[in-house]
Amino acid sequence: MTTLLEVQNLRISFPRRDAAPLIPVDDVSFQIAAGELVALVGESGCGKTLTGLAMPRLLPVNARLGTDTVIRLGETDLAHASDSTLRSIRGRRIAMVFQDPMSSLNPVMRVGAQIAEAVTAHARIGRAEARARAIALLTEVGIADPSTRVDAYPHQLSGGMRQRVMLAIALAGEPELLIADEPTTALDVTVQAQMLELLDTLRQKRGMAVLLITHDLGIVAGRADRVLVMYAGRIVECATTAALFAAPAHPYTQGLFASIPRLENTASRLTPIPGTVPPPDQWPSGCRFHPRCPVAVSRCRTERPPLEPIGAGHDVACWVASGAAQ
Amino acid sequence: MTGWLLRRGADALLTALLAAVALVALVHALPGDPLAAVLGEHSATPEQLAALTARWGTNRALLPKLADYFTALAHGDLGFSMTREIPVTSVLRERLGPTLLLGSLTLLIDFTLGLALGLWAALHPDSWRARALGAVTIVGYAIPSFVAGMLLVWLFGIRLAWLPVAGFRDVLLPIDSGSGAVFLDRLRHLILPLTTMVLATIAVPLRQQRAAALTVVAAPWVRAARARGVSPAAIAWRHCWRPALTPIVTLFGLWLPMLVAGAVFIEGLFSWPGLGSLIAEATTTRDVPLVVGAGLLLVAAVQLGSLLADVLYRVVDPAQRTP
Amino acid sequence: MRGYTRLGLGLLVAMALLAVVGPWIAGSPYSQPDLLRDALLPPSGAHWFGTDQFARDVFARLAWGARNSLAVATIAVAVATTVGAMVGLAAGGRDGILGGMLRRLIDVGLALPRIIVLLVLIAAIGRLSTLQLALVIGLTGWSGIARLVRGETLRLRHAPYVIAARALGARPARVLWRDIFPGTLAPVLVAATLGIADAILLEAGLSFIGLGLPLPEPSWGGMMLEAREVLGQAPWLLFFPAAALVAATSAATLLGDALRRTLQPDSR
Repeated sequence: MTTLLEVQNLRISFPRRDAAPLIPVDDVSFQIAAGELVALVGESGCGKTLTGLAMPRLLPVNARLGTDTVIRLGETDLAHASDSTLRSIRGRRIAMVFQDPMSSLNPVMRVGAQIAEAVTAHARIGRAEARARAIALLTEVGIADPSTRVDAYPHQLSGGMRQRVMLAIALAGEPELLIADEPTTALDVTVQAQMLELLDTLRQKRGMAVLLITHDLGIVAGRADRVLVMYAGRIVECATTAALFAAPAHPYTQGLFASIPRLENTASRLTPIPGTVPPPDQWPSGCRFHPRCPVAVSRCRTERPPLEPIGAGHDVACWVASGAAQ
Repeated sequence: MTGWLLRRGADALLTALLAAVALVALVHALPGDPLAAVLGEHSATPEQLAALTARWGTNRALLPKLADYFTALAHGDLGFSMTREIPVTSVLRERLGPTLLLGSLTLLIDFTLGLALGLWAALHPDSWRARALGAVTIVGYAIPSFVAGMLLVWLFGIRLAWLPVAGFRDVLLPIDSGSGAVFLDRLRHLILPLTTMVLATIAVPLRQQRAAALTVVAAPWVRAARARGVSPAAIAWRHCWRPALTPIVTLFGLWLPMLVAGAVFIEGLFSWPGLGSLIAEATTTRDVPLVVGAGLLLVAAVQLGSLLADVLYRVVDPAQRTP
Repeated sequence: MRGYTRLGLGLLVAMALLAVVGPWIAGSPYSQPDLLRDALLPPSGAHWFGTDQFARDVFARLAWGARNSLAVATIAVAVATTVGAMVGLAAGGRDGILGGMLRRLIDVGLALPRIIVLLVLIAAIGRLSTLQLALVIGLTGWSGIARLVRGETLRLRHAPYVIAARALGARPARVLWRDIFPGTLAPVLVAATLGIADAILLEAGLSFIGLGLPLPEPSWGGMMLEAREVLGQAPWLLFFPAAALVAATSAATLLGDALRRTLQPDSR
């Protein structure tokens, strides 16, 4: 499989006026192969959204990338690309779907026009043809009666339909990589399943890679090829879905699995992970999970564990799990 | 839409009518000598007084007077000016033009320059220029219109003597001057009053647009549009300016009364021969029919403007349109 | 924004000093000792702000003018606030025909631009004394406050503590007065403070076009009107009253904004 996206040493910092800079994403590295569905999992505040925004360089104005950060899409270096290069890859090679479909759609513009906008941003075609493409895309994402819906305003559509419109907009440029940031969080449970099904179908049909950012382990099973677990700005475990679900190695991942309510356990209480996620300006030294970790040793407090392979397609960043606790 | 329009129009009409009745009734119900304007400095013999009273109908009861007034109004008759002895409508017709000119130009500048500056200030919030603009708006807001006007008169009219400070045109300009010279003359007379009017009224659209644009610039759909690779120009226009337009339209209804008040003082200051200075002059000479006539016209204009603003709001905001 | 508030307070203190202490230490604003010799003198030790074309001391006129303008504005705002609050409370507290009529009344009040009503009243009544002017300015300004109070009353009627009072059997009028009315005081106070700025400007504007305070009475607007004739020779006759006017209205506006930030933190 060819590597489509390569990210090395991704570091996102926010300078502050009278204090040390805030570093919500600290040394994140991963790869995505063409056509793969990779899930980026973590709680709110772990930096996964920022990581997703970093790919098409849509970070807030005051964000700074690390000096040795590498973001490469195929042959193109995104970390140091010019504005015009970035504009040409946004929508065309990397597309993004955001969490809240209501506010991510312009309320005074018809949805068809917004899809057509995505089409004409990268192709010189006339209005009639752009509109036809928009209708075709609406059909592809499963919206009924597309030739009428194309002229609707966002407030006239339900949440699920709006999310499908967002997908249609994202697909308009025929991207190689789709970043979906919490695409199902704002939806009802039944609609969630449909959305994920749709995502999967489209991915396979178009040979598109997908980076699925979510806090919900449940939607990952059975869909993702690989899973990246993120905690406090760092990747703590990286494995194929099968390997992760069979034998989660990092204590945080184990804690996540243990805290999912299961239908079989009738009487026992849920076992949450003790403590809370620290904010970015109060991150612990060494392994950032150590204050909440049930198996932490002294080395965990002082030294940061690197991502080490512990099996085929299974890496973990933990002194205890990789057997180097001394 | 038509159903709503009819209802809203009827509402505006009713309010305007009630306002007119209130105004006229107020005038006729008050103490004070209504014949003072006509008499001026002179005293009158009882016979002369009786004749005047009969002529102007000042001794009749309130309700018949009101009924008569509004019947005449329905026929387009606003009565006779006591001081000029010609129909009120003729006087109004004469003075309407200059006010329309000044008012419409002020409107144009306020809602183009004001909106552009407001949008620009929101898109570049940290530049020194934006901060300077903020300071200028605060200062403009703090200085009353006629004060600013007087300062401009002093600076440009007297100290520098660049511009004329009164009137609409140069009465000494030869009749056969070419249209270029006439145009230039009109322009020179227009500059100071127009600048003063704009200074007095631009703060409202500018601040509103800046606030609306600030909300919009941070809006999630802007980031989504960037994620599609839309050009910055298209983003500014389609995704920032257009959504921010909605709240702007509503303030048009609030802005009109400001324009009217501005007109009274600023037209007076610059001896601009419009409705504002007319109503002030008529008040000074206590020419009640004229004051009421001009007043009613201005009230009607404000109501119309408010109605127009509501209609525009429905047109501009798609969420209002669908049933 | 604290800086702006301090500025507002400073200006308020300056204006208060001018209005209260000024007339005491200054001379008479009417006396014209020697028309030939003393007219149009620039600021000096003897006349701090100079003299006008009638040889009157400008500082004295400014100080007495401050007293007049601020007195008129205060009375006007008091009248407008009282009338407006009563109408608004009644309009918001009563449903049905009376409530509807009062609402219509407020709409009509809002439909009439204040300056027009003022001019019509002055045309009908004739020359007004200072007190009459204050009352008339006040009586034309009630509709804004009325709309505000009506809105607040409508809102507060659904507040839990009001519903609780009704459930305990309190009569509607009592609930209106004891429970709802105090809740409207905060926005009313803000509106009244900002209204002082409007009142000052209206009085000054009217005096500027010759329709305000009766003539020998000093007024900032009147001073600016008189300054027009001699603008080229004695521009200070314009600058001092202009500065005073700007200072007074800015003080009211800045303090009104500060009050709004303190008392109504959610409003923009």
